[in-house]
Amino acid sequence: MNAVYLDHNATTPLDPAVRDEMLPWLDPRPANPSSLHAFGQHARRAVDQARVRVARLIGARPDEIIFTSGGTEADNLAILGAAASNQSPTRLVTTAIEHQAVLNPGLHIRRLGGSLTLAPVDAEGRLDPDTLLSSLPGDTTLVSVMLANNDVGTIQPVAALAEPLHRRGVLLHTDAVQAAGKIPIDVEQLGVDLLSLSGHKLHGPQGSGALYVRRNTRLSPILFGGHQERTIRPGTENVAAIAGFGKACELARERLDADAAHMLALRTRFEQAILERIPGVTINGRGAPRLPNTTNLSFEGLDGELLVLNLDLLGIAASTGAACSSADREPSHVLLAMGRTPAQARSSVRFSFGRDNRDEDVPRAVESVVRAVQRMREGRR
Amino acid sequence: MSRLSSAVVPPSPAGSRVVVALSGGVDSSVAAALLRDAGWEVIGVTLRLHDCRDVPAGRSCCAEDSVARARAVAGRLDIPHYVLDVAREFERQVLRPAWSTYAGGRTPSPCLLCNERIKFGLLLAWARRLGADRVASGHYARVERSSDGEPSLHRGDDPDKDQSYFLAGLDRLRLAALFFPLGRLRKTTVRELARARGLPTADARDSQNACLTQPGRSFADALRERFAASPRPGVIVDEAGSVLARHDGLHHFTIGQHRRLGLGSPRRLWVKCLRRTDATVVVTDRADALLSNHLRITGTHWLAAPPPDGAPLECAVQLRYRAPPIPATVTPGTGGTVAITLHRPARAVAPGQAAVLYDGDRVLGRGWIDAD
Repeated sequence: MNAVYLDHNATTPLDPAVRDEMLPWLDPRPANPSSLHAFGQHARRAVDQARVRVARLIGARPDEIIFTSGGTEADNLAILGAAASNQSPTRLVTTAIEHQAVLNPGLHIRRLGGSLTLAPVDAEGRLDPDTLLSSLPGDTTLVSVMLANNDVGTIQPVAALAEPLHRRGVLLHTDAVQAAGKIPIDVEQLGVDLLSLSGHKLHGPQGSGALYVRRNTRLSPILFGGHQERTIRPGTENVAAIAGFGKACELARERLDADAAHMLALRTRFEQAILERIPGVTINGRGAPRLPNTTNLSFEGLDGELLVLNLDLLGIAASTGAACSSADREPSHVLLAMGRTPAQARSSVRFSFGRDNRDEDVPRAVESVVRAVQRMREGRR
Repeated sequence: MSRLSSAVVPPSPAGSRVVVALSGGVDSSVAAALLRDAGWEVIGVTLRLHDCRDVPAGRSCCAEDSVARARAVAGRLDIPHYVLDVAREFERQVLRPAWSTYAGGRTPSPCLLCNERIKFGLLLAWARRLGADRVASGHYARVERSSDGEPSLHRGDDPDKDQSYFLAGLDRLRLAALFFPLGRLRKTTVRELARARGLPTADARDSQNACLTQPGRSFADALRERFAASPRPGVIVDEAGSVLARHDGLHHFTIGQHRRLGLGSPRRLWVKCLRRTDATVVVTDRADALLSNHLRITGTHWLAAPPPDGAPLECAVQLRYRAPPIPATVTPGTGGTVAITLHRPARAVAPGQAAVLYDGDRVLGRGWIDAD
């Protein structure tokens, strides 16, 4: 079946150039970057090169990049590592629309005796930086605000937080997993202390990621072992994945403008056609700056999850954000935080475009959505 | 293979979709394979009956195993596969009523409830919204259609595996939408078919009630724990009324039980009846005290046309899964009650369990055995 993949916020296909970069490291040849001999040196150079490439994507210095097993580990390292380096109890302030990889370490901190505060967002899914700053608890140690939301694609005003927070001695982390490869990222301009990246969201391999740690930021490890990654993230490096991740970041930087323009053009046509042809559709987060590739649509009166399955049967891959169908599913916490009713939230589906989508994917996807929605609405009677 | 397919499943009208309830066992795998071979567009759906988040971290969750096995089968058959989480409804519509039944000193029939309410209730409704008008499963039972299209439910051809008892609560409307592709097959054939197709479940062990029980703990105890119930303790008495022991809840007992009574008596004793009013278990040493010829069922559901008011009907009654049917005269009363006179006595008739009425191999209906 030649399906149309519109779920790039879940994962992206590996770029062939990334694969080529990885393949030598899957050969039957030992490659521990910590070894002193020629084998080890060879591997070390690959890791070094990847570090430079990742750093360049976000305007960082190579020594500020800590490789991890992915975005989730990067978020955990940022939040739990910052908490562990504190003498005083942690107070984490984050938003109600974060990924579980931020929310759940936050809950863990609370269980360990720290505090967690969730800042609200407006109806468009955007955090107001002034509200966050003016209501910031005095004992806040860390603020974590995602750069772009995975469900609706809204871009958060992270840069506006940095200076005021630093004046109060509060660390700033951003989960940039969804933003990377879709909008420009510059850690100097953002002013963040910690920033999470994931390889497989930008056509790199799964199981790769990094945490940017600004120089002189105090961060404790959350895994303990050898000296790798400056002991902040011990464990023998996954050389193939790191090499692939580096290449993916290089490609993302080189292609950013073209990719973003391409994805935006596809999404714009898709949204226009859907709005024209299907009544009762709302674009969630439409009033906020959004990632160029993401559209989250509410289909009035429909069950979004069933729509996703009906689309799958028509060869269109989309998502509600959940991995399993349920008769009584919890609606998206992001849409609820945006003030949607549970019924509205359950009626929503996320379509996320990628650089590999072609122009002809749009009419095919539109036809299928129209067909599936019509059938489902008729079937309800 | 395809000859067999056309013999046991109806050919597919062009582009027709059927949802197959894939449990992760061999039977549903073969049912899916037969339908696919007959040209149906098959969608595999696995019901997740338990929420693995309930399982303490680190403990395994058998629900995940069956989902993974079903997924492997769908992969082998190259059909789409979805997991439908019905844990909350399963708890509400099957497990809670089962616990209430136990707590009331009766023995529940959770498999019937699950089929009526979940598998061929929720799943069927859900399948329709996926554009599938039909649902199939790996049950050993048959749906026949009369010349005017009226469906009827019959025993599966394999006498050891026949599961029509568990399906007797379905109605004709739903029956019309169901396929049981294994109804004409024997289990040995089903296994051969699975092997011939390289299905990963070909040699899987049979699971009657996957996930309902855990090693070393009864279903009733698992339910008591789940609902944090504190059943009323009581005593075990003999027929003369002498107290033999104490017990901590009627849910431990079922009529006819003679093991694990906790009496340490040299006499052979059976549970004769459970008195809900004072949580008393009455035991007997007379095997024939467990025999009865008369019973009453309530909540009777007729799958075939019910006999006209008050007219007695000669048929056969099956009082538990795999029990031999007993010839009987049944007389419908009011409000869904039916009086049954068995033509030979049955042993250990357990209130709460389903009594299923048969005419030959055809299911006429079912009711719940009432306490005396």
